[in-house]
Amino acid sequence: MEFLSALTPLFFGLVGFGVVVGIIFGAIPGMTATMAVAVCLPMTYGLDLTNGLALLLGLYVGGISGGLVPAILLNIPGTPSSITTTFDGYPMTQKGEGERALKTGIASSLFGGLLSALVLFLFAPTLADFAIKFSYIEKFLIILFALTVIASLSKRLLLGIFSGVLGVWLSLIGAYDVSVGGNGEYRLMFGFMEPYLESGFSLLPVLIGLFGLATIFQEAEAGIREEVAGDLKLEAGKPFSFAVFRGQIVNLFRSSAIGTFVGMLPGVGGSAASVLSYTQQKNFSKDPSKLGKGAPEGVIASESANNGLTGGALIPLLSLGIPGDSTTAVLIGAFTLQGIQLGPLFIGENLATWDTMMVALVFANLVMFAVMFFAIRHIVKVITIPKYLLYPGIIMMCVVGAYAINYGIMFDVWTLLLFGILGYLGQKVGLEIAPLIIGFILGQQAEVYFVKSLESFGTLSIFFTKSPIAMFLWVLIGISVAYSIFGLIKARQRDRDHGPDQ
Amino acid sequence: MNIMKSGLLAALVATAGIASSQALAEDMPIGGNVRIVIGSKSTGGDTYQNTSIVAKALAEKLDINVKVDAVGASAAFKAIDRLSDGNTIMVFHDQSYLGFLYGRKGYSNPFADYTVGPTVAINPGNAYLVPKSSPYQTIEDIIQACADGKRIRVAIQPGGVSEIGFSALKNAIKIRYPGKEANLVAVNTGSQADKNQLLFDGQADLINGSVQANEQYTRLPADDQKAMRFVWLTARKQTIEQANPEGMGETSREDLLKYVSPNASVTQDGSKDFTFDKEFFFLYNKDMSPEIVAFYDKALGEIFAEGKIQETQKKSFFIPNFKPSSEAQAYLKDKMDQYKVIIESIR
Repeated sequence: MEFLSALTPLFFGLVGFGVVVGIIFGAIPGMTATMAVAVCLPMTYGLDLTNGLALLLGLYVGGISGGLVPAILLNIPGTPSSITTTFDGYPMTQKGEGERALKTGIASSLFGGLLSALVLFLFAPTLADFAIKFSYIEKFLIILFALTVIASLSKRLLLGIFSGVLGVWLSLIGAYDVSVGGNGEYRLMFGFMEPYLESGFSLLPVLIGLFGLATIFQEAEAGIREEVAGDLKLEAGKPFSFAVFRGQIVNLFRSSAIGTFVGMLPGVGGSAASVLSYTQQKNFSKDPSKLGKGAPEGVIASESANNGLTGGALIPLLSLGIPGDSTTAVLIGAFTLQGIQLGPLFIGENLATWDTMMVALVFANLVMFAVMFFAIRHIVKVITIPKYLLYPGIIMMCVVGAYAINYGIMFDVWTLLLFGILGYLGQKVGLEIAPLIIGFILGQQAEVYFVKSLESFGTLSIFFTKSPIAMFLWVLIGISVAYSIFGLIKARQRDRDHGPDQ
Repeated sequence: MNIMKSGLLAALVATAGIASSQALAEDMPIGGNVRIVIGSKSTGGDTYQNTSIVAKALAEKLDINVKVDAVGASAAFKAIDRLSDGNTIMVFHDQSYLGFLYGRKGYSNPFADYTVGPTVAINPGNAYLVPKSSPYQTIEDIIQACADGKRIRVAIQPGGVSEIGFSALKNAIKIRYPGKEANLVAVNTGSQADKNQLLFDGQADLINGSVQANEQYTRLPADDQKAMRFVWLTARKQTIEQANPEGMGETSREDLLKYVSPNASVTQDGSKDFTFDKEFFFLYNKDMSPEIVAFYDKALGEIFAEGKIQETQKKSFFIPNFKPSSEAQAYLKDKMDQYKVIIESIR
């Protein structure tokens, strides 16, 4: 019970402060949980390890959770892991169910966060041992599995797949980075582009450009009326009640578990978690055609997964000394700055720190829920701001976020604009933005794991025969693809029988 | 009386310290705050950790704000390429010239294109490890295995600090058993997690790691799939000897000394052993005024003379190593020239 002495009012105050600041970071397009933790990391110099971690864990949970606000209200994912929240969250807002969507998302986030904290507390070392069974091959197959969502997200299959492949291609522009074991050579660009594109296009500016800026361009083209928020009404649709979770318990558990599981695999990345759980919900849903059109189950899948990630990503960090995602990679700094090394013996040798971390994580999730759930009534009013005032403000925040993401690289602002234009023009010619961005997010990892698998094993057949885990993943990939094709055939049949509007 | 004397002395020293800080702050040839860009994108790594220690000391000494930005090598070099006002400076380590020697894109000769500033610390932790169940107990076993025609796969991140030990090992095998160096093959990978994973998967026989990141793995029981064993630390013996006696984790300084030259011998040229200390130093714009270079030398010189920073560095397993710019330039240039010979000999 040594850890109880560390649980001071300052400790809880720092968690709460971290959560609130994190939510603000997460809610501003272009600012992420990772950025929140990185910006506040130097503040931990003056704190001891326990209090420093309290602040950073608060920021982490708040930052991941805050991303749902712009995703639902403005169709701009506040963080990469809230992309799939836009798919159903924004349509709900358009139906006048913004508050309902936000509350559903927040409650799902709380569930995902708490479940993953529980898993972390009970099974961290065991799961870390399981995580190291995932070599390059299994990680590649997980990414491939996540990529299968492209098939089910596409409105028109061929165009969707084309958009996905285009996304993968765009992600490969730049150096084949030495930091991932590449040869450092530049690809897919002309010589004059090298000074700008050596690191490729940054994810956040691409994301905000395609989602945020492109939407604003479309609205601008249509002409922004002076009256308030056009056709968006605050409470025109159904109000929130916890009954929204009726029939969604399996979804909640499955998505939180997927988030936790993906989080604990180093290098697979946070966005894959929500993409995977969204795919699975679409596959298992009683009526998959509703997803993407404002179904609360989509928001539940996405948000419980991305908060499930928080506990998951801490598993390899605390059990192996290896960060599970980009935010925990920054979090590791809090330990090194205090001269404490993480590794397989960390938990056993630092039980008090471990226990306080767990308290901070659970408390952060509760504070996140309390702050967001009760502030939602005010937050949701953002959509009542006249668009001619709101949109310039959003553009300004997007530009600031894009500029700040890599500590002041102007090219990131041009990337934002470039992808805004690409998104705007692309949609006119039928390009599908969601598959494109998913291809972009997962493309680099897919390449690295594929190439490294071949370098290590030298044969393609190893992808099928490496391990029972690999075979199991192939079965999941097969089922996912089959579901998508089956769904497509069913939709076509329905269109033939009843006409496309039914 | 004695107490009064020592109190008076302490007050005098403190006053002198404040006076010197004030003098430095007043004579500052730079305007405003300082941004230190580092060659790493990680805020959890040794470059950020070491630079943060130095930045904090500089901020206190000069009474200004000093911000460390983990922008990565390419962006950091670009930043100091552009700005010569001394407000934006860089801290990096031997990677800055090793990247150039290995021909990595984005790297140029730092001695030609930038002004190399003072060194501040060494990270003595660069290490090579095998699985605990490995038949190879020592680095000599690895060399002998290659000599016997066995293929040894070494997981490294190519093009820099992680590769230099591999190059040296290959060079040593070439000197002792010409033609057998081909048996030592690199498995190029990325992060420490990836290197560890290759060892767990049985896809590498030897990995590059560090005392800090891998020490806990060496304390796992032999039947644990994750258990590892140090076979070689590239640091010089006198570097490790300066570490705190408790070493890192449960591995004492005495334990660590078992893995450095001459106990773990990798010849550089047939007569002396190869060693590599990862040293952190400042880099400035080529045209930065000599007055500013001297200013930072003086400020850091005073910080190290006070002796407080050394304690912080050692607590974090860094070895203090302040050398003013001119001394650092000659020293690092010599180091680069030596490694150039090794890298070219195995090309």
